[in-house]
Amino acid sequence: MASIELRGVSKRYPNGLYGVRDIDLKIRDGEFVIFLGPSGCGKSTTLRLIAGLESVTSGDLLIGDQSMVGVPPRDRDVAVVFQSYALYPHMTVAANMAFGLKMRKMPRREIATRVDRAADLLGLSHLLTRKPAALSGGQRQRVALGRAIVREPKVFLFDEPLSNLDAQLRAEMRLELVKLHRRLGRTIIHVTHDQIEAMTMGDRICIMREGRLIQSGPPLEVYANPVDTFVARFLSSPPMNLLPAHLEVDGDGLTVKLGEAIRLAVPERHVPAYRAVAGRPVTFGLRPEDIHEQPPAPTQQGFEVQVVALEALGAETNLVAQPTASGALPEITARLGRQARARTGETVTLYPDLLSMHLFDPETGAVIPRPPLDAPR
Amino acid sequence: MTDSAGQGRGSGLRLLLTHALLILVCLVILLPLLWVLRVSLLPPSLSYSTDLSAPLSLVNFESLFSGRFPRSYLNSLVVATGSVLLALPFAAATGYAFARFTTGGAVARFSVLATQMLPPVVIALPIFQMFQTLDLSNTLTGLILAYAALNLPFLTWILMGFFKGIPVDLEWAAMTDGATAWGAFWRVVLPVSLPGLAAAGVLGFILAWNEFLFALILSGPNTATIPVALAALQTSNGIQIGDVAAGVVLAVLPLMIASRFIQRFIVEGLTLGSVK
Repeated sequence: MASIELRGVSKRYPNGLYGVRDIDLKIRDGEFVIFLGPSGCGKSTTLRLIAGLESVTSGDLLIGDQSMVGVPPRDRDVAVVFQSYALYPHMTVAANMAFGLKMRKMPRREIATRVDRAADLLGLSHLLTRKPAALSGGQRQRVALGRAIVREPKVFLFDEPLSNLDAQLRAEMRLELVKLHRRLGRTIIHVTHDQIEAMTMGDRICIMREGRLIQSGPPLEVYANPVDTFVARFLSSPPMNLLPAHLEVDGDGLTVKLGEAIRLAVPERHVPAYRAVAGRPVTFGLRPEDIHEQPPAPTQQGFEVQVVALEALGAETNLVAQPTASGALPEITARLGRQARARTGETVTLYPDLLSMHLFDPETGAVIPRPPLDAPR
Repeated sequence: MTDSAGQGRGSGLRLLLTHALLILVCLVILLPLLWVLRVSLLPPSLSYSTDLSAPLSLVNFESLFSGRFPRSYLNSLVVATGSVLLALPFAAATGYAFARFTTGGAVARFSVLATQMLPPVVIALPIFQMFQTLDLSNTLTGLILAYAALNLPFLTWILMGFFKGIPVDLEWAAMTDGATAWGAFWRVVLPVSLPGLAAAGVLGFILAWNEFLFALILSGPNTATIPVALAALQTSNGIQIGDVAAGVVLAVLPLMIASRFIQRFIVEGLTLGSVK
């Protein structure tokens, strides 16, 4: 069992580029943490730094209160499941799983017991004598997982292990990994670029971009309170709507002006926080699920849009629409219920739920802070 | 219906033409070999005969075996095998270092390749002198050393390519599983690379087997290899073409076996199924 701590960890390559930069992060013992970000953001590099497969250039890295700088991977007691699975092709499934235990000179009988137990847990018992080439993708993935489990390491590091599976298998494995975490209670770091994995699996999400850790927190908290437009857009699909706007003083209150004609009153509870940026251009952000066909409150203002496209997903309908007001506004997306009535080409009125609105600095993209809403609302 | 039939006729004709051309090309390549085979089986008096019904005999082989040829054959086997066994571990280590690490940089990689660009005769004389001083000329050990040195850059280059094709994830997995870097190489990379090592070994064997210049300079009557022995059949009485043909046939045999071997190994592709 082990906590992990990164103190100002950077990885700089000989060509001067940074893989990761100044990462400060504390992971509690037994926590399930997700590293999320687009490809090339440094999440896999961070994982390899923790595993010891790459060396830290500056900063300190601790596993269970012990500095790991200069400690080889074999002495860190971590297990990695690679995106490619990296099964040893010349060994059988059983030998693959036993390899780590053999390296640690465990008695043969104990090895057999552990391999059998893990194979049982993962439904691999009938495949133990096969070579990896004779397995399906899902089976290989399980063997890779089994190879990690038998060692009973302090820390599990998963490097996008689900990305090569088909959608259905991925959903099943997602659930199994969560169950596994609950059963083993070990610290897990799971790297992914998949928002659904990020939202559903972990206790905490760490969002990375260009080698830096930009936000970390419980999934719903990060979802409800993104620190900038990048996080706001990255964490959901379809992403948050971002519209150029102007914040204007309106008596005691504030009004968001979109384009030339759309004026939306800022809810009273947000007014104190936003008053400081009144009179300035801002980026107005609203998630697709916070836009409705019916007004959420009788007094709620709406605005007219022309429907560009409809994606009926069964449980919900994504509506892409162009605001009809003048002022060159971008298209917006609304996530409506199954019974969405709008049709492509029609002009309809949509009602934003402004309690969930966000404002961002149009230049830096940083959020203009307001008191968080209770998550989930 | 007529269309497809017409198309069938057209493609049939094309198939015929393609095959005729292929057969022609095959004959260009195979005829000299078949001719050598035939000459080896004809009595020396009929070596240049065009009579296809001439009686076959093994007299050339008998004459070859009564002379020094068996000795040379053995020499070639020892030298080619020995040089490959000597060069392969070094080539594997260097190739792996080149493939995985920045060791030596581009300069080292290029210099390894550059040695292959030199005409062999340029190093033949210095090597001869060196071996004279070290008392290595006229010995099989000397030839083994020389061929190992000649083979080393070539094998290094081949194996570097092979190691580059092995996913680094495999080594990482082994290292987090508790292996040292050396352990990962020995227990995972090497077994996975066996087909590559075998292929490289066979290519090195062929290189050494066929080498003539160094063998000529560094060997004596007792240490001559097959190419030298065959060249020696050109005497003041003319070329003993029957013996030469028989010698060539025997010389080609191990190479044919070796290439079958290589093919099987290269095609097998052991890494299949390890990743993705």
